[in-house]
Order: sequence, then C-alpha cells, then structure tokens
Amino acid sequence: MQLPIIQQRKYAYVFSGLLTLASIICIAGWGLRLGIDFKGGTLMEVRFTETAVPTADVVREKLGAMELQSLTVQPTAERGMLLRYLASDETTNSQVLTTLKGIDPAVEQLRVDFIGASVSNQMQSQAFTGTALALLGIALYVAWAFRRVSYPVTSWEYGAGAIIALAHDIIITTGVFSLLGHFSGVEVGVPFIAALLTILGYSVNDTIVVYDRVRENLLRARTGTDFEGIVNRSLNETLVRSVNTSLTVIIVLIAVAVWGGESVRWFAVALLVGVGFGTYSSIFVASALLVSRFKMKFPKSVTSV
Amino acid sequence: MNAIKKIRFQFAGVVLLALVSGLIAYPKLVSFAPPVERFFSQAKVNLGLDLQGGIHLEYAADTTDLDTSKRDDALQAAVDVIERRVNAFGVGEPVVQLSRSGSESRIIVELPGVKDVEEAKSMIKETPFLEFRELAGPEAEAQIDAANAQSQETAGKILENALAGSDFTELAKTWSRDPGAKENGGELGFAKSGSYVPEFDAVAFDPNFATGSVHPALVETTFGWHILKKLDERSTSAADGGEGEEREVNIAHILFPKYAIEDFPQLRYKATGLSGKNLKDVYVDYQSQGVGSPQIALRFDEEGTRLFADITSRNVGKPVAIFIDGEVVSQPTVQAEIRDGQAVITSNFTLAQANAEVKRFNEGALPVPITLVSQQSIDASLGRSALDQSVRAGIYGLAAVSVFMLLFYRFLGFIAVLALLLYSAMLLALFKLSIFTPFPITLTLSGIAGFVLSIGIAVDANVLIFERTREELSFGKSMRKALHEGFRRAWPSIRDGHFSTLITTIILIGMGTGFVKGFAIILALGVLLSLFTAVVLVRIMVNFLFADWMEKRPWILVTPKKLDTPKN
Repeated sequence: MQLPIIQQRKYAYVFSGLLTLASIICIAGWGLRLGIDFKGGTLMEVRFTETAVPTADVVREKLGAMELQSLTVQPTAERGMLLRYLASDETTNSQVLTTLKGIDPAVEQLRVDFIGASVSNQMQSQAFTGTALALLGIALYVAWAFRRVSYPVTSWEYGAGAIIALAHDIIITTGVFSLLGHFSGVEVGVPFIAALLTILGYSVNDTIVVYDRVRENLLRARTGTDFEGIVNRSLNETLVRSVNTSLTVIIVLIAVAVWGGESVRWFAVALLVGVGFGTYSSIFVASALLVSRFKMKFPKSVTSV
Repeated sequence: MNAIKKIRFQFAGVVLLALVSGLIAYPKLVSFAPPVERFFSQAKVNLGLDLQGGIHLEYAADTTDLDTSKRDDALQAAVDVIERRVNAFGVGEPVVQLSRSGSESRIIVELPGVKDVEEAKSMIKETPFLEFRELAGPEAEAQIDAANAQSQETAGKILENALAGSDFTELAKTWSRDPGAKENGGELGFAKSGSYVPEFDAVAFDPNFATGSVHPALVETTFGWHILKKLDERSTSAADGGEGEEREVNIAHILFPKYAIEDFPQLRYKATGLSGKNLKDVYVDYQSQGVGSPQIALRFDEEGTRLFADITSRNVGKPVAIFIDGEVVSQPTVQAEIRDGQAVITSNFTLAQANAEVKRFNEGALPVPITLVSQQSIDASLGRSALDQSVRAGIYGLAAVSVFMLLFYRFLGFIAVLALLLYSAMLLALFKLSIFTPFPITLTLSGIAGFVLSIGIAVDANVLIFERTREELSFGKSMRKALHEGFRRAWPSIRDGHFSTLITTIILIGMGTGFVKGFAIILALGVLLSLFTAVVLVRIMVNFLFADWMEKRPWILVTPKKLDTPKN
C-alpha cells in the first residue's frame, strides 16, 4: 500500500503557499517583537511579599512618573511581576527598585537582565552574520551531498528544492512568532535565532534522506521508468523513518516547552514549530518540487513513459 | 569462536563504561558503600549562574587613548585590579576574564551565589581610573578665551534688551549666573561704597547713575560682565552722629561669568600617558627629618619611570595633577626632575588619611576606564527552580522517548533505550569530569535544553538503522543479515544528518553569546557522543544480546513491516 503523496501535491502546494503567504503578511505587517537582546533595555523580575501583591495597573501607575520607554508590566506566578523597559542604565534600574519598594518595602529583586545599546547592536550583527554563515554552510553541504546526481534532474535542482523547503520552514516559524508577538507579547531574541539555525541544520537532513532514497531508486530503476512514481515510492519508503525521527525530537521538545520553565519555553516552541514544518516540508514540499521541476523540463512525458 | 570472544570482550567493555559513567553521573547509586560514593562524588557539575543564582556583568573597556601595543597589558592590569576587588568580596569561585567582541574589549565578571547584587556592582564600579596629568598649553587658554568671548557677547545682547526696557527682574532670573538671582532677581540690597570690587563700586556709586536706570555699558570685573540697574539710593547721614554724608545704593545686577583656567581642571591639565597601570607600588612613608607627617610614596614600573622623568623634567616648578576618575585628588608642584621612578606626595595627611589614600591608589589603579554594558543577575531561588524544572523536563522527555522506542521497535527499541540511558550517563559524566581539565563545561539552562534536544536526536540514528533493518527483513533476509545490512546501509544517512547539525552548532558556537553558546556546545557534544552510542555501542549490544531463538519469533525484534513494497 502506497500513499499517493506526490500525486496529490497540489493540496500541499496550496496549503504551504497559503501559510507562507500569511507568514510573510504577518512579518511585513507586524514584524517581530524584539527582545532586549536586540534593542537593548532591561528586564526585571521582582516578587512581592504575601500580604501585598499590587496589580499590574498599580505598578504601572507608580512607575508612570519615571516615564520609562515602552514599559510593560506582566504578573507572573507566585506573587511575581515582570517589568520590561527600554532604558538600560544602572541609575534607572535602582530608581525603579526604589519606586517598587514604595509599594512594598519587602519586595525582592529576583532577576535583572539589562543589555546596553552597544551590546544589542553587536548581537544584531552577530545574528545576521551567523545566519548568513549557516545558510552558506547548508548550501555548500547540499551541493556536496548531491554532487553525484545528474539525471533526469540535476544536482543543483535538488539543492534548490532543499533550499526552498528550508526557506518555507523558516518563514513559517518566523510568521508564527510574529503572530505570537502581536497577540501574546512573545519576544524574540538571540535564542530565537539559535532555534532558526538549529531548524536549518535539522530539517535539511530530513530532506536529504528523502532525496537520497530517490537517488538510490533512480539508479536501480531501468531507464524510462516513471519519475513521479519513483519519487512517490521513495517517499513512502522513508515515511515512517521521517515521521519517527521527528517524533522523538518533538516528544522531547514538548517536554521542554511544558515543563522546562519560562526561560526556555519559547525557544522550545520555536524549535517545535520549525521541526514540525521541517518534517512536513521534506515530505510534501521538497520531493513534490522535484517532480514539478521534472514535468517542467519534460512536459511531454506523461505519468509513465 | 574467535568472533564470539570478541563480542563478549566488547560487551564487557560496554558494561564497564556503563558502570563507571553511571557512578560518576549518579554516585548515590552506591550510597550503601560510603567510601566509594565519596570517591565518585568528587566530580561535580559546574552549574551556570542561571541555575545557581548569581550575577554576570560585562564591562566595556575604553582603550582608545592607549597605544595599540599597550592595550593588552593595560587590559590585563585592569582584570587583575578587578580580581583583587572581587576576591575581597568573598564569593565562591568568581570569574574575571577578558573577552574581545569585535573591536571592543570587554571584561566579564561572574559572581556566583552573590546575594546583594547592588553592593557587588558598586564595589566594582567604585574602582577608579587613576592618571597623571600635566598643565595644558595655550590650547586650553584659547578654549577659555573663546568661552569668555561668548559670555561677553551674550551679555552685550542682554544689555540691549535691558536698555530697551525689558523687565530687568525677569532678565536677571533667566540669565544671571549669580547664585541667588533666581530668587532675588539680581537685587543686592543696600550697601555702602567700598562693599564691591573696585570696577563695580565705581559704577554703582557714580553720582551720574540715576536711580531706576540701567547702566548703559557692561561692567567688567574679575567675576565677569555685569549689567547694573540702580534700584534705590538713601543716605545714612549725620543723624546718628556720623561724619559727613554716607550714601547707600541698592543695585540689581545680571552676571555673565568670566572663566579662568583654574575653574576647569579637565581643561587645565592634559593627559601624559602615565596612569595607574604604571604604578608598581604605593605605600605610606614618613618624612625623613624629625617626626614628620605621613606622606604617600609612589614607585613606578620601568615605563612609568621613564614617563615620569620626562614629565618632571619639563614641568619643574609647575604642578602635575593626579586624577582619579576625572577628578583632581592632588596637584603637587614638581620640585625637581625625578629619574628614579620614586615620588612622594606630601600634604598634611593624618595617618588614617594617608592609609585611605594609599588603599585607594592601590585598589583603584585601574589603567582603563570601564562602563557596565550588560548585566544578568538571578536570584538563587529562581535559579534553583529553573534547574528543577529543566531536569524534570529532561526526565519526562527521556521517559517519553523510551516508551516510544519500546513500543515501536521492541527488542531493538529496548537496546536503544539502554543506549540512551548510557548516553545520558556518559554526557553527565563528561560534564563532571571536565572540571578536572583546562576546559570545564558549565551547564546552563540553555545547555540543558541542548542536552534534552540531543536525547531526541540521539535516537535518530537508531531509528534510521532500525527502519533499514525492518526493510531488509521485509525482503525476506534473515534477522542477523538484516541487522548487519541495517547498520551498514543506514550509515551514510546518519553521517550526513549529524554533519548538518554539527555545521549549525559550530556556527552557533562562533556567535558566542551566552545562551546560544551553552546550547550549541552541549548540542555539539551530544551529537558527537550520540554518534558513538547509536552506532558503536548499540551494535555491540545487539551483537551480544541477539540470540538465534529470536529468528523464529520475528515480532520480538521490531514491529514487522507489511510486505507491500514491490521488490526490485
């Protein structure tokens, strides 16, 4: 029994196309909500004593006089409060703490992260160069992995397919975080970039395993065998493997997202989305693109030649 | 026979490896034998600040004023100074290290388990920047002259306004630099002749200066340029028996200050290149003659001696100032050229003052100015709960993956789970053992995320192998043969897959920031170690544990694959 995956590729194209388009619209419209890693600023977590837990509004009002730029106040579990604002100098931070002590003299400062503008600028440029290097590395790797395939689709066409699938995974993951940023205030920082790069590395591998099998089956097949059929068979043969390897990763990522705590939650979610779509795209997009390309090159060949 | 011996030998190796890494990873296993437990407990995981609480500070060091060749020395000296201060703070295992990021030099300070973050910061921040400066030349004078010309010009404009009838009180409140002008509108009150500086006095008591009028010209004094308005005049005459008539006038004025070089030590003095990094020694000394008051003796290093000789030779009779953090602390006059690199600062110090100064010089001889650019501080309780949470996530993840592997791959899954446990123990043991090497691994929150992710990736290779085995079985091969083929044919895919992940981890490590680096290092280690586990260790275990009786019961090995793929 074989699933007609390639034969039904138009559904995958429509689904992926819509998602990619929606992601691009989200990214263009809302952008990403940048965390302090990238724009500088302070993140302060405090805990109030049991008797007096002010509401976020009260805290915001008390801090109002300080005119902190882009101040957000967010209550956390266990009598905590998470403050974020753009200023990143020590005096401002100690003033904020003094103000909070005015509300509750026994307030505890649990965490202060602050990043100055020079550091955040540097992180931005590092993120860019890191991503560029990773893309270059992956492209070279793909080129190397397909160096020996040539017919009927050339090795660079395999490479292009893999890279389109990767772009698809990255765009959708970024789109999801644009959405999360707009509606739930989720910020992206350096960990998000790390997640994207990890997705690149992980998901290209998945695509390559499928392509590898296509290549193997092509070599074994006699000339004139139906290309679409071979790709589909290859997919079916590697389907369980693709799903299972991703599942094990997805299982542990779910564990991290659910139990791993606040600090790594969104990092795990980014990986989860990316790995999920990475698996989907290597099955439904990357291989389908090969067949579409084949049909473009040989328009006269029908399902079986 | 030989092959069987080899398999047994290899398996014994695996068991030994499991035993040792298991004991290092979790010494409580042998809590019944305290000496053994104690032995294996020596190795500890080096927890990051985010897991044990503490403070991470990054200072940018400004080396723009230094020669390129001296920068490294100066930075190292700064690190040493900060280290001394931090050690005085008495936290366990502080880290002070230099890091270069781009063109900027950073000094990273990590203080694990610090309770009072603000105090720690102020202790480091207090660290002053010490330097010697000499009198600046004409360029500083020129700057002062320019400022004064500016002041005079403004005064002229305001005088025109005042003469044209603008409210004098308002003008005084806005423009006068006389302290108090804000309150009194420049009014000085009744005063007798001779109360003011001569130039001022002459105008104020000029008989032609009509009450209620503004003097038509600026009055220049040593303080600056004044606009005068005579508010009132009275005479305290012979009524009280005084001789002759004494006039008193009430004057209001607007002051535009005149600057002198003495007001601006920053301008008055210029850098000499001699700074705290050239100080070899600072101590309290006594003047040789008589009882004497304590004085501060300075001793310079080789370069400092040379610089100091140059400075003193060209400044005999002139002051040389000692600045700490941009403020003058002392401006002794050079008596003679000093060639031996020894100098004394004499002042009427008490012993306590001299000691305090010396301490300040010694501890505060920071050769480069630093500014705090980034801080991460985490309360110990928060770190503790983050550790608990992530360990729990890791255990749940491991358990879920194990269940999955057992259900899906049965006997082979069981071996994969054993390998996974062994993998976790080995990685943990590696963390612990690394503290005895020059490259200790610090486990951070992101590192644990990398560890957990690597658990998922670790079984990847096994899934590839087992799927291949299933396929080979479906071609009707014997189990032994299928297993052999499975390992052989899955290898290229495994190699490629690990390779692509390694590429990204290497780039992430290169990016170098805390979170990313911790994650990437541990993911890379995990990927490499899991390669060994999944390919070598699993094969040894399969070889040893696989028995021929299983050939008759195919369901025990893996879930059989339905024979639907057409054979080629």
